[in-house]
Amino acid sequence: MTDYPVLTVTTFLPVVGAVLVFLLRSERLARWITLVTMLATLIVAAPLYSRFDKSSSALQFVESADWIPNWGVSYSMGVDGISLPFIFLAAVLSVLCVGASWSSVRTRVREFHAALLVAETAMIGLFAASNLFLFFVFWELMVIPLFLLIGVWGGPGRIYASVKFLLFTLAGSVLMLVGIIALQNLCGTLDFKALAKASIARGHQYWLFAAFLAAFAVKVPMFPVHTWLPNAHTEAPTAGSVILAAILLKMGAYGFLRVSLPILPDAVQRFLLPMLVVSAIAIVYGAYVTLVQTDVKRLIAYSSISHMGFVTLGIFTLHRSGVEGAILQMINHGILSAALFLCIGMIYERTHTREIADYGGIGKPAPVYSILLALFCLAAAGFPGLNSFVGEFLIIGGAFETRSWLGAMAIWGVALGTIYLLWLYYRVAMGRTNPGLAGLALELNAREVATLAPLALLAVGLGLYPECVLSYLRAPVAELLSNAGAP
Amino acid sequence: MNRATTADLALLVPELILVGMALALILAARRIQRTPLALIGTILAALAAALASTCVVPSDDATGFGGMITVDHYSRFFKVLIAAALALAALLSVRSLDEEWAPRAEYHALLLLASTGMMLAVSSLDLLTLYLGVELMTLCSIVLVGIRVDRPASNEAAIKYFLIASFASALLLFGISLTYGVTGTTNFAAIATSLRDLGSNPLLLVAMGLVAAGLAFKIAAVPFHAWAPDAYQGATAPVAAFLAAGSKAAGLAALGRVCLVAFGSEARTLTWILTGLAALSIIVGSIIALAQTDMKRLLAYSSITHAGYALLGLIAGTSEGASATMTYACFYVFMTLGAFGVVIALGERGEKLDGFQGLAAQRPGTAALMLLFLLSLTGVPPTAGFVAKFGVILNAVRADQVPLAVLAVICSVVSAFVYLRIAVLMYMKEPQEPAPSRFPVTVTAALAVTALVTLVGGISPNSLTPWAVPP
Repeated sequence: MTDYPVLTVTTFLPVVGAVLVFLLRSERLARWITLVTMLATLIVAAPLYSRFDKSSSALQFVESADWIPNWGVSYSMGVDGISLPFIFLAAVLSVLCVGASWSSVRTRVREFHAALLVAETAMIGLFAASNLFLFFVFWELMVIPLFLLIGVWGGPGRIYASVKFLLFTLAGSVLMLVGIIALQNLCGTLDFKALAKASIARGHQYWLFAAFLAAFAVKVPMFPVHTWLPNAHTEAPTAGSVILAAILLKMGAYGFLRVSLPILPDAVQRFLLPMLVVSAIAIVYGAYVTLVQTDVKRLIAYSSISHMGFVTLGIFTLHRSGVEGAILQMINHGILSAALFLCIGMIYERTHTREIADYGGIGKPAPVYSILLALFCLAAAGFPGLNSFVGEFLIIGGAFETRSWLGAMAIWGVALGTIYLLWLYYRVAMGRTNPGLAGLALELNAREVATLAPLALLAVGLGLYPECVLSYLRAPVAELLSNAGAP
Repeated sequence: MNRATTADLALLVPELILVGMALALILAARRIQRTPLALIGTILAALAAALASTCVVPSDDATGFGGMITVDHYSRFFKVLIAAALALAALLSVRSLDEEWAPRAEYHALLLLASTGMMLAVSSLDLLTLYLGVELMTLCSIVLVGIRVDRPASNEAAIKYFLIASFASALLLFGISLTYGVTGTTNFAAIATSLRDLGSNPLLLVAMGLVAAGLAFKIAAVPFHAWAPDAYQGATAPVAAFLAAGSKAAGLAALGRVCLVAFGSEARTLTWILTGLAALSIIVGSIIALAQTDMKRLLAYSSITHAGYALLGLIAGTSEGASATMTYACFYVFMTLGAFGVVIALGERGEKLDGFQGLAAQRPGTAALMLLFLLSLTGVPPTAGFVAKFGVILNAVRADQVPLAVLAVICSVVSAFVYLRIAVLMYMKEPQEPAPSRFPVTVTAALAVTALVTLVGGISPNSLTPWAVPP
């Protein structure tokens, strides 16, 4: 059955769709082609789930071909338990993005969908790449469609937001490029597994860590370089916000897991404390800034900073439960931030306002919407039985194992998170219906419910049975930590 | 002196083809002024020259004319590249020749002769033939810049270019004469031998500096760049494109051979000179480009920056480095011709930055092509520009020039801002002007070729490597 190169086909099928969409002149057709291509991508990726061996930490579905031999660069792909869930997440969310944009995007429809498809290729390719060169190619490829998505189909401040996003990410990634080139020069290879075995001098490791940190920290985003995020997430169209929050932010954290931890263990040990402190600051500072936001989208954007703080905190605990929790939390945040942005996008389509003050009491006119919103808010706040709870629990457990004050900071962050999310829900859905909303048909239609339903299922499913992701993580995380020299 | 034999002349077949066509065009000038014959002839000659430089001339490396001219893989590579630049520039010239009065036959003859000079420069093994080639190229370029005799801007640009170019030629010639004074020869190989025997010599440093400066003028590296923005702006866009692509490639080829073959033993001094030129070009080019509102000026500063990047490969003084520079030159030729091609396709509107407003809404295909070229100029994968940049920076790091590599990538973010400003205008602003008229089919063809190379070069750079063999 699976005679075809699964990863290559999964990665590049969307580009084929993008070319088709760009060449055909019909806008109606563009939506359908995009939807069909993305569903087909999910289907061709099926062997990845059915034939994956969870007990192995090795790369599976490996494909390799010569690409640029005189630089030691090959075209090689492969997935392990860490990258597989992200490929699934990216493929699912892409489909939902099309659903969310079905009626809200009316201008330049073909280009919009072509950009979405290219972004999907970049997302899947990034997680499927098994060498740094290819990783970097997809890393950069991701930026271009998002730049256009924000800048062309975004809100009023879209140009500023898109240029800021682009310059921040480029500034980080060019330093990573120097790091990659230096690694190639030192080790003669860019293959992840081979680099993990290479021994790099301590002094070199520090510089390389700094170079890669520049790229990863901007993408996560970590505390001092997070300022592009509120603009970009707020101004982007719903689909753009979903991709940004759900996948793009994970690319940085994934970079830490793929590059920093296994390849530069000495530097990780050296910079452990600063990284943990910055993560803790991001959690608490991000949460406080979130509290005072008056714009719904901005609020969710800032909450991402706090939530990604949990992820980096978990990674740099270098503790098994912390790292597993961090990866699980990356998936969880991907699901929930996507869900929240979709919810906001759907209501914005009807009310054309993002100010919290303009909402209130939409529970009565839109009960289904309010129930789903409540589910996602509770899940994001870490309500037991829903998905975020497990991830945060594991991370906090890991934090207490390493340094107890970190655990305390994290719990503080969780408490603040509960406050801002429930307060948001209270102001939007409960109380008396805002007179400004009278006469608007606020309830979701079937397409929108169908868009949110998979995420609701995932939120509940992963909350009740997190093992279905955690079982993938066991073996690769154990190997990762044995490489990184866990304390 | 040996008398030139038929075997010697066989080495110059590509050049002879171009000269022959140029003479034919000039002779027939009065009859073909209003016909597309000049264009067809030029393109045929370019194709024939490219074919001749790969197939007809002896397949092994060969030298002739008393060791002054060589045909090796290096010169073949650049001859094909120059022929490609010539053909593409001729294709792009159609509209500007239609709209403004310019003598078609002479215009194409000058393009052909300038290309002859470039080919001569890349295949010479002697400082004097190098000088002849470079001068032929420069003189023809000056006339091309000033070919719109009725336009004051064009005349002014030509005069400025002429003055600065003569100064540069004087420097180059002075450097050659000093080199001759120190080593007693102008032949590359003989210079290298005698340098190895002589050891270091202060006069020699001056000579090397002067030769490098003279050639740096040709590739418009800072601080010898001042002519480029004015000349590009005053010239018609196709001529500017030809200058940016062709003379940069030829200058880099000449500089590469001089650095590697003739002065290879003075690696330390060369590294100093080249590092300075590269760093200054990258910084100044990218920063001044920020302020430009005229597309031709903007692309001129972009070409200055790219000269700096291309030089990064030569710093190491290794053959891998030279081959990275060759790759860079090749991809740069196509991407800059592509970007100029879009400017030319849009006509008057394309010459100013604001003219790009809302292009994506009016012409999605053209805007997408321009975006591709801009991304390539920025160095974003998966375009050829990224592969080219990766190669030269890799060699800078190998030469232990990590700070220079970091500087280069940081300036590439500044450049990104320059190029993406155009992308922002194209995609994120409303159109201010009526949609551009249909492009001539020749321009479309040129854009298709350049876009294809820019994409294929980024996805499969290996297809080029067998050809990029350093001297």
